[in-house]
Amino acid sequence: MDNLADKLKKYRLSKDEYARIESVLGRAPQGVEWALFSALWSEHCSYKSSRVHLKKFAFNSPRVLQAMGENAGVIDIGHGEKVAFKMESHNHPSFIEPYQGAATGVGGILRDIFTMGARPIALANFLCFGRPEAPRMPQLVEGVVAGISGYGNCVGVPTITGQTEFHDSYNNNILVNALAVGLFCEGDPVVTSVAKGNGNYVVYVGAKTGRDGVHGASMASESFASDSESKRPTVQIGDPFFEKLLIESCLDVMKQDLVVAIQDMGAAGLTSSSFEMAAKGGVGFKIHLDRVPLRDTSVGPEEILLSESQERMLLICEPAKFEAVKKVFHHWGLDASVLGEVYDGPEVELYWKGDLICKMDPKILTDNAPVYNRPYQKWAPKKQTAELKAKDLNLIDVLSSVEGTSRRWIYQQYDQRVGAKTARDCDDSVSVQRLPSGRGFGLVLGCRPHVMRVDAQVGGYDSGFYPALELAAKGFRPLAMTDCLNFGNPEKEEIMSEFVAAVEALAETAKILDSPVISGNVSFYNETLNQNITSTPSTGLVGLRESVENIPRSHFTHKGDAIYLWRLPQVELVGDQLGRTPQFKGAIDAQKAARFVDAVRVAVQNPSINSSRVNGKFGLGYTLARMCTETLGAAVDAVAGGFWTERLYEVVLAGPESVMEPLQKAASTCGSELVKIGTVTEGTLQLGPQKHSLNELNKAYNTGWSQNFAQLA
Amino acid sequence: MKKIGVLRFLGTNCDRDVWQAVEDVGLKPEWLWYEDQFQVADYSAYVVPGGFSYGDYLRCGALAAKAPVMKSLGEAAAKGYPVLGICNGFQILCETKLLPGALVRNEKRKFVDRWVSLNPQTQTKWNAKARAVIKLPVAHGEGRYYAETEELKALWDQEQVWMTYVENPNGALEDIAGVCNKQKNVCGLMPHPERAMADWMGGADGRVIMESLLG
Repeated sequence: MDNLADKLKKYRLSKDEYARIESVLGRAPQGVEWALFSALWSEHCSYKSSRVHLKKFAFNSPRVLQAMGENAGVIDIGHGEKVAFKMESHNHPSFIEPYQGAATGVGGILRDIFTMGARPIALANFLCFGRPEAPRMPQLVEGVVAGISGYGNCVGVPTITGQTEFHDSYNNNILVNALAVGLFCEGDPVVTSVAKGNGNYVVYVGAKTGRDGVHGASMASESFASDSESKRPTVQIGDPFFEKLLIESCLDVMKQDLVVAIQDMGAAGLTSSSFEMAAKGGVGFKIHLDRVPLRDTSVGPEEILLSESQERMLLICEPAKFEAVKKVFHHWGLDASVLGEVYDGPEVELYWKGDLICKMDPKILTDNAPVYNRPYQKWAPKKQTAELKAKDLNLIDVLSSVEGTSRRWIYQQYDQRVGAKTARDCDDSVSVQRLPSGRGFGLVLGCRPHVMRVDAQVGGYDSGFYPALELAAKGFRPLAMTDCLNFGNPEKEEIMSEFVAAVEALAETAKILDSPVISGNVSFYNETLNQNITSTPSTGLVGLRESVENIPRSHFTHKGDAIYLWRLPQVELVGDQLGRTPQFKGAIDAQKAARFVDAVRVAVQNPSINSSRVNGKFGLGYTLARMCTETLGAAVDAVAGGFWTERLYEVVLAGPESVMEPLQKAASTCGSELVKIGTVTEGTLQLGPQKHSLNELNKAYNTGWSQNFAQLA
Repeated sequence: MKKIGVLRFLGTNCDRDVWQAVEDVGLKPEWLWYEDQFQVADYSAYVVPGGFSYGDYLRCGALAAKAPVMKSLGEAAAKGYPVLGICNGFQILCETKLLPGALVRNEKRKFVDRWVSLNPQTQTKWNAKARAVIKLPVAHGEGRYYAETEELKALWDQEQVWMTYVENPNGALEDIAGVCNKQKNVCGLMPHPERAMADWMGGADGRVIMESLLG
């Protein structure tokens, strides 16, 4: 039996799962079958702990063309344009080897997009790091940012927005979530991964296969022990130059209608791509593993199946079109090799040098994967208080803290403009691209970990509402979202309870905003030595507006503008930053919040509104400071609730006095209120009795990074 | 109307943006593929776009400099056709010796993306009209202009320094952002004019460069 225990450990399967394999096969697994079950039944590929809850995201919307189950979701945005987008985690590899982990995270998410037939037009990233003083942290920050920059810049897709958080719960388990957006123009086909057509070729294109990333999917499905360094060989190596060639050649063959189906070889490599494509089409494959182009001839069949070598795709094409396919790839300097063919099936047959080494119905692997309804508790708010108690913060301390300082050091390393579509870049709270139709496409990330730490249910709502309000404050209608659910160990009831609370709140938000979750991923086991990360359901929201003209700025633009505060206070909270005690009171009324979002969106279409910003972390004091420029400040008298608690939800607007009346009217239609709180001035920021020179503020905000990361500056 | 030749290498990624910019000023672009040579008289001007040709393997622009298309481009340059290299295109022109000097790793060893202001120092075929400060974005990891002291002096003496940065983003010697050949038909520039063609992009000063093609 020792032998079996060792095997289960090697393939990261439980005893119960082994019993299930025996029952679905009617016998014990043999040879490469072990590897297949290990990969496809891993948490990463099967979503076995989350599947029951992810169903809560499902709802019909006529604009959704592809949702969960495909490589990425696709929505129709009218005018002949469609967009595909998705966010995915690369947390574990990035902690082990930050440069390659982050780089291949970008590469992987881009392949999910162009495999649908969409040209990638934007990247974004959601990063959570530990405290600057935590071991390896400066190197992790430097490596992750360099990896994203090195890959994204070279492949020629701009990184246009991002969010970066710091907290000690990420000290031993950082989060690297990459989002990509692709655009289909009029006439571009949406291609799926549904294999079909008896006799069609199964074709391998892209980079050669090596040993990198073998067992990567099951590694990502396990908590870290202290030996994470020893897992370095499971991290893949990326080559963005190859990816660029793959983008051009794949889009080319799709546009010429030369392929039936296509999928990238991502997690669990050839195994998941071939078995999933066959299962979706209800067909079988005959695949000769010895025809897979190898970097080195000593790589064996099991490693070929599990390799996560990057920049590879599997496609299905009609035999008569293969020469044309090959010609396109050759033009771009790439090879295409026929591995085998599609047949009625239902089994996938794997051959190695003429011998049949595995024959299995792919549905056994994809449809029979275990599903766990892990124990959880119905959500009960713990930090709810009758009255908030928190002392005021010092603005200069906030602006120079790692939580509050400028992220320019990070995004200055990203090419934000390649593609020539960027209208608002990482400097702004919402990034904007101009579509060929002339309309504005807005992208913003969501999830605020400090709110999650206050309450997972409030945090779940906030992961949808906050970014939706940010879009609305710039005049964008939110259309759809993607998510990346980063959580700890789902086998622990308190983690699973947070997961369920956050998912249910986010699902309700998506429904009420009519912004369906069309793609995403779940990353469990973000746990090291029993310490779990802050539950972090990061999101990416996309929105649309009619043009890129007259979008309110995120900073003040005119001396003398009146400053308005538009508020729908539902929850008041104090975060745990700068040593404060997390607490909150109130509850989110999703219906009311959604009406507020819509009213804001409509009201800011008024071209006289010069500036807008959603009040966020720390409170109004920080938000107003972020709206100051080198020359323009503000004079703001006392505000009800003060400058240093957060209220969900509030928007700060600036414009001439003439905008007040229409704004107040709009506010009254959704049960909210709008008050004038101050005026845009020159030279200083005055918050109640406190007055700061702009020089002092800008210095704190612009040098905070180098104070926290002296060795990186 | 004569066409504008836009060169494409494996890994070029600003090609489509340059194409769009050429169209924006009312001219007709055409691709020139790296493996092919062309008739120089078929085009009125040439642009070598930026990106990461050959993934920057070996050295930025080094592999592209050996591609067959560069033989024809050399011929066009010698005949006085306007040639503009942007970012990686500038690196390629330096590697082929169509332009003097070299572009090396940024002083801070990091990629830099930001808007910069530029002072045109001399008139060339690519800025016949502009002498005032223009604002364009840079995005590069290896854009620090370098030349030996004597070569630098000669560049100034012969009015081959085309543009300088008002605020140096990469440690370029003498703030040099762009240079030209002695005949002033071949120019190289690190900033990207094709990314500054309209106010919604953050500025429209790139039109000054692209509109020079209109003659």
